[in-house]
Amino acid sequence: MAFHDSAIIGYAESKIVEKGDRDVCALGGEILGSLIKSTGVEKGAIDGLILSSAMSGAGSVFWSQVVADALGLGLNFCQTVDIGGCSPLGALARATMAIDAGLCENVLCLYADTQASADHRPSRPFRTEWTSALGYLGPPAAFGLLTRRYEHQYGLDYAALGKLAVAQRGHAVLNENACEKLRKAITVDDYINSRMIADPIRLLDCVMVCDGASGLLVTSRKNAERKGFTKAVIPLGYGERTNHRINEAVVDVTDTGHRVAGEAAFKRAGIKPSDIGSFHPYDDFIIAMMLQMEMLGFCKPGQGSAYIRDNDFTHTGSLPLNTGGGQISAGQAGLAGGGTNLIEGVRQLMGDGGKRQVANKKHALVTGIGGIPYGRNWTTSAVMILSSNA
Amino acid sequence: MTQLHDTSKVDREPPIPLSYTKPFWEGTRQKKLLLQFDKRNNKYQFYWRPVSIYDGLGDLEAREAEGTGEIFTFTIATRARPPFQGHEPFGIAVVTLKEGVNIMANVINCASEDLRIGLPVKLCWLPLKNGTYLPAFEPAK
Repeated sequence: MAFHDSAIIGYAESKIVEKGDRDVCALGGEILGSLIKSTGVEKGAIDGLILSSAMSGAGSVFWSQVVADALGLGLNFCQTVDIGGCSPLGALARATMAIDAGLCENVLCLYADTQASADHRPSRPFRTEWTSALGYLGPPAAFGLLTRRYEHQYGLDYAALGKLAVAQRGHAVLNENACEKLRKAITVDDYINSRMIADPIRLLDCVMVCDGASGLLVTSRKNAERKGFTKAVIPLGYGERTNHRINEAVVDVTDTGHRVAGEAAFKRAGIKPSDIGSFHPYDDFIIAMMLQMEMLGFCKPGQGSAYIRDNDFTHTGSLPLNTGGGQISAGQAGLAGGGTNLIEGVRQLMGDGGKRQVANKKHALVTGIGGIPYGRNWTTSAVMILSSNA
Repeated sequence: MTQLHDTSKVDREPPIPLSYTKPFWEGTRQKKLLLQFDKRNNKYQFYWRPVSIYDGLGDLEAREAEGTGEIFTFTIATRARPPFQGHEPFGIAVVTLKEGVNIMANVINCASEDLRIGLPVKLCWLPLKNGTYLPAFEPAK
């Protein structure tokens, strides 16, 4: 079985910067070099490359080949995963499948994007026909619509959302790879009083687009054991759902694909939410994390505000949350941003958390959100459960 | 009372239709809001797709919506990019039409205090520079 039988033997991450002067392939090279040094796996032994798609690479339809060539990699398996912010998790899942199928042995999952300095998206994307003429600001507008509907159905405590923002910001202060501009503590009042962007979405609900890169080296569990990797992380279970409730013309936007993907991931992993030692949900907006707590079984639908009030999300708390600051407080490295929380989950399980190390190093839960569709919540939901081999 | 900007003076670019969405935009020239109707499943859908979201088959009918509905959810844009920059605040809503589909549109002739989920609204039109029109909604009086 692909998941239990694969192992992450190394991780790497660049500093996240507001606007960098390095090309996306230079960041990719930094990640490759870092992984070769930390694992001792030579370049010639890396025979698989799976990329997350990149805003910087959007002008190329040969993206994985371009990057493989720039990095001097000879490969038996090569692809780009293009499910938006779910791509980094999706790449890891596909790496385990390719290894399990015997197509390759050592896979580099590479997440690099320089959206802040080089956004190469085409001028006529496919999905703006029905929204561009409305002054629709994309994700903030979509989450404004979602938040208002949630509040109407269940009631919403904005101070509870602020509590999540404050916890994440505290973690970014402890994370040297987080974007420097964001490494300043905030209060719940700062969150509440930050200016409206797409009412009720505030500035401190949103991510800041940055440049950055991260990556993983994945191999079979047997290979990891044979080579003596004592610190390894095992992907235990994965679930991925695209176009949740697509065959409905009026959709309850408070119900997301994470409910389905989460059930699948927990079932495959054979554990339950109370076993999770640290939670690394995809955070393009603060409320997305609350919805995921509801969908993944930490609390019931509609009970998110109360659950947040009753729990401590700092790295020493009852449910450590995005202990590197998440994308909202570390900066969103374009479409590679989904790698930030994934790398942090792996780091915690390997016991490399330093000042922000969590106590329970057994299981981490990492998620993805990808794509903003018309009139629904988001396009793809991904859920990955990771376990320490210790 | 904060009157929301009606966005009628915004110099917006008309959307560029795809081969299968042309009938929708052509219909707006006569101020017709055309939905896709799946006769096999007796259901409407919006936005326009090449196939039915219910059974994956083509052969969809274009049927004119009555133009009434209610606010399903909304956001008030207080920050925008050109050409909307300077026209804030304006309303963007999801409207549930009587036919049972959700459609996204600007809400005009409305104060922000009056905009609420469940508000009954009716269809109105904003002219685009290529002769087509953009559907919008205003409170039903």
